[in-house]
This record gives sequence, C-alpha cells and structure tokens, in this order.
Amino acid sequence: MKIKKHDIIKKEDFLWEIPQTFRPQMLVPARVIASETLLDAIMEDRSLVQLVNVASLPGIIGASLVMPDVHEGYGFPIGGVAATLYPHGAISPGGIGYDINCGVRLLTSQQNAEDIKSKLEELSKEMYAQIPSGMGKGGQIILTPKEIDEVLTKGAEWAVDHGYADNQDLAYMESNGRLENADPAFVSEMAKKRGSDQLGAIGSGNHFVEVDYVEEIYDPIAAEAYGLSKGQVVVLIHTGSRGLGHQVATDYIRKIMAAMPNYGIKVPDRELACVPFNSQEGENYYKAMCSAANFAWCNREIISWEVRNAWKNVFGTDIAPLKLMYDVAHNIAKIETHQVDGEKLKVLVHRKGATRAFGPGFEDLPKEYISVGQPVIIPGSMGTCSYILAGTNRSEEISFGSCCHGAGRKLSRTAAKKQVNAPVLKEELREMGIYVQAGSFKGIAEEAPVAYKDVDEVVETIQNSGIAKKVAKLRPMAVVKG
Amino acid sequence: MKFQYFPHTADIRMKVEGCCFKELFVAGVLGMANILKEDICEPEDSFDIKSNIEIQATDQTCLLIDFLSEVLSHSYSEKSIFCKVIFLKLTATDIKADIYGKTTIGFDEEIKAVTYHEAEVVNSGGNTWETFIIFDI
Repeated sequence: MKIKKHDIIKKEDFLWEIPQTFRPQMLVPARVIASETLLDAIMEDRSLVQLVNVASLPGIIGASLVMPDVHEGYGFPIGGVAATLYPHGAISPGGIGYDINCGVRLLTSQQNAEDIKSKLEELSKEMYAQIPSGMGKGGQIILTPKEIDEVLTKGAEWAVDHGYADNQDLAYMESNGRLENADPAFVSEMAKKRGSDQLGAIGSGNHFVEVDYVEEIYDPIAAEAYGLSKGQVVVLIHTGSRGLGHQVATDYIRKIMAAMPNYGIKVPDRELACVPFNSQEGENYYKAMCSAANFAWCNREIISWEVRNAWKNVFGTDIAPLKLMYDVAHNIAKIETHQVDGEKLKVLVHRKGATRAFGPGFEDLPKEYISVGQPVIIPGSMGTCSYILAGTNRSEEISFGSCCHGAGRKLSRTAAKKQVNAPVLKEELREMGIYVQAGSFKGIAEEAPVAYKDVDEVVETIQNSGIAKKVAKLRPMAVVKG
Repeated sequence: MKFQYFPHTADIRMKVEGCCFKELFVAGVLGMANILKEDICEPEDSFDIKSNIEIQATDQTCLLIDFLSEVLSHSYSEKSIFCKVIFLKLTATDIKADIYGKTTIGFDEEIKAVTYHEAEVVNSGGNTWETFIIFDI
C-alpha cells in the first residue's frame, strides 16, 4: 500500500486527513498535524501507512493521529496518538512502545549562564561521573526483590521515602509520578531482574542529561508561572524504564498476540497486537505497564538526585537547590475523559512518542500552572535548541490533549554514522560552547543534529496548529550521553 | 548462513538467511550478538556461560522472534553475549536449546527489543530460509 498526496485532504491549515474510505478496514480517519513541508518529508518513509493501520484498531474513536515529528516505527509510527473507547476498546502494547514511560523532565536553577560558564567543563565531567550511562550499564542502587516491588508500586514516591528527593517534587510530575493501577505481581521475574540494578542510569540511544540556558521567552506569563527567566540555567533529563520496561513490553506483546484469536481480532502488523482493555490479558498488561511507568518515574527522580549531587560538588551547598519544573511521559497509555463528536467519553489514550498537553483549567496540575496550562517539554537533538511549551484547550479538541515529543528522526543510524565525523562534531560543538561527555564517538554520530528534523520547524507547526504554544527556547551548554 | 544489516529510520533492519531452518536461528543469534558487540563471536571457541531456552510459539516466525527475544533477555540479565546454540529440539513451533556466551562489561549498542514487524520466515527455495528482523534501538 502506498499513500500518495492526492489521498490526503487538507482539513485546515496544519491538519491533514486520510479519509476513512481510503481502506475498508479503517474505523476512523487518519490525521496528520504538519506543515505542508513537513508532510512532504513524512511521506518519504512508511509513517502514514502505519498510521492508516492504527485506524483499524478495535474500538478506536475520533481519528488515529500523528504529530509533525513522526517517523516510521514498527507497527505504530513514532509520534502517534490513538484513543480507544474504555473499557471495551483495544489496548495495544505496541501503541505505547518498548520503552514504557520514556519521558523528559526539566530542573530549574537560580543561576544564569554567565554564572556557570567558567565551571561548565568541570560540571559536565562531574555529571558524567555521577550519572551512570551507556549500553547495558547499571546504576549505583541494587534493589532487593522486595524493594523492586515497592518501586513498581510507588514510583517516584519510593525515591522520596528513601531520601533521594524532597516530597515537593511529586506535585510537579504527570500523575504525581505514580500510576495507581500498578501491580508488580504482573511483572515477570526476568523484567524485575533486568531492572534491579538500573535505577539512576540513563542508558544509551537518544537518552541524555543536558545543561541548557533559557535563550528566549515567548510567553512571559506562562514562563513566570513555570519559574523560567531569560538566561537561567536549567537541566533536561530524557530516559525511561530501561530493561525492565523493555521486558514488560516483550512479555506482553507475545501474550497478547497469542490471545488475539480468542477475541476474533486480526491486525495488519503483528506489532499492533491488541486485546480488549477489559479482557484478562488487557487488564494484566495495563497493571504491568503502570508498574513499568512507575519504575521510569522513580528512575528520573534518582537521576535528578545524581544531577543535584553533581551540582553541589561543583557549586557548593550555598546555592539554591535545583527545582523540578515538570516531568512528562511520552510513551504511555492513560485512561482519560475527552470530548468526542460532542460527547464526553472515557477513553484509553495511547501516546507513542507523543506528550500529554492539557490546557488551562486542568485541576491535576500544580496550582501555579492551572491558569496557563500543562508544561510540555520538547527536547531537540544534541547541539540544537529545545523548547518549553504550554498545553492548550485546542489540543483536547483535535489531538486527545496531545502534542509532539521531540524533533523526530529523519536519518537512519547507519546513514548518520556515514555522514558524521564524530570527533570533528564534538570539537565543533565545543567551539559553539557545548561540552559533550559521551561513552562513545559512535553514540555522538548516531545522535548528531543532522540525523533529526529541524526542531524549530516542528515546534512552529505545533504553535500554528494551536495544540500547544511556545513558552521558552533552551540552548544547550553541556550534554551527557550514553 | 549469513546476516546483513539495512538502514531503518530509527532502528536496525537485519536480513538473516540459513541453509536450513536450524541455521536461520544460528544466523539470528550471531547477527544480534554482532550488534551488541562487534565481532565478539570470533573466535567462538571459548565460552564462560551457558543457559537453556525452551519456547513454544504459534508459527515459525513467532518462534524465531521469541527465541531471539529470550536470548536478548539472557544477555542483559546475565551481562553476557551469546554466540553458540546447541539444539535439543526444533520444530516449526517448538524449540529447546542450550545457548553459550561470553560475559561482557557493557555493549556497543543497546537493543530494546526484537520486534515482529516485517518478520516473515519463508523458505526461499531448496532448503534455504530467510526473514527480515527489525531491532528496536
């Protein structure tokens, strides 16, 4: 199946639709949020074919959606949103991804870029020393079987209970860093074994910890609410549930694929394997997914502790501690209420490479954020800008309260390695004032800016589509990678 | 028996071929080991860890993917890379095997998962078997 430009209808500026009539199996239309330039780029890989496949998920409602940072995945595209009717609609582990609750958080300092410039190299080295990173590497904490069950149940709260974080961090996290439906009994021993030494480690791939400064403020009112000001130094952390989450997804895709015939479900790609949410297999997976999501929140909390330690070691204990601005997931499924065709419905929103972006008035936000909307954190690629956005009510009208999650890959890792001379890139970044600490030159080449779409264009498209608005732009100063 | 890598936007696409069904599984194990740590399986004469895998699947494609997923899980949980397979049983839907590997500190690449996407084990003529496999990186 090939999707051509004439198969796509322009619904409105920055919103495109492949109608339900395009293929008989589609239960809803497939929609793309993109500028025309980005749409043309998106059509170069198989993202839209995958989007059309998602539109045939049992119980899907509204539309299957992709964001401007979308790229081809396996089964579901990366950068997609699919909402199914709760509780009879499908739950699909592939719609969440292998790295359950991969996400980002932002810590804010009370220092300015100029204040830390002279100590930046020392800071980047100290962060690299404090934060375990790299392929298959574990962290500083080894969890007993009892402790890992506690982490899976309590999420970030476990880190608070054990002195790694202050209680106030919890208020600044999506779902307060804990999903109540978690049940460690549904997580395999293999998954627990893989996670037992991985708390506090960022892993590899596109995961990183980055020191940035606020280069530009677009929305002074939202920026003030979020505690952001021009020139301020902040820290971005991007990682997920590590091997524990990967194993949970692997275990349940296998179980759910085997169970599909019992429910008469056939899918065009095995990675779309799904069952009704309220089936035994669906409920078991959801409990396991919530557990892995809790592990990821605890992981980002422990990494924040490591960053805070590095900060103290370099700047001393007299400076104000780093404050958590917000923590958002971008690989997760959540039970939420949304307006669909004029009716308020309870739905299961799958976000795979997409960020929740609720607008003003959402009461579960910290009170100082309620009037401006939920913070949305959009990391760029290594060496390029990142953005802080604010969710809008428009996102609830067209994208189930969701927005993009990053710049979006455009080059394969192989192509990036062929095009990029990593030692030269590291030196060029250094000349731009960016210190890179990485486990390997290969990792630097694979994550080079040239491998990603233009984050400025992606964010501009989001702003123009109205599903989130720009609050601040961040410029990198130091990057720690696996 | 051979493996070959092809580009994929974010992940790794690998084609594996075997001169018999058994060799397809060996090619998968070696191709995956080579992603985790280049050339670790050469020479393959000394191993310091052995594990056992027993899997049943609905078809031969799922059997291969589930088998490689299991090998990958052992790699991470035992901090080892597996290079050798001794088959105790192999049918289109059942496998029982001993796998032999080398302990390692860290990997060149972290594979999140062996996916079913694009995988389709087929007999491509004679006794030759092949499939594509996408690894989530």
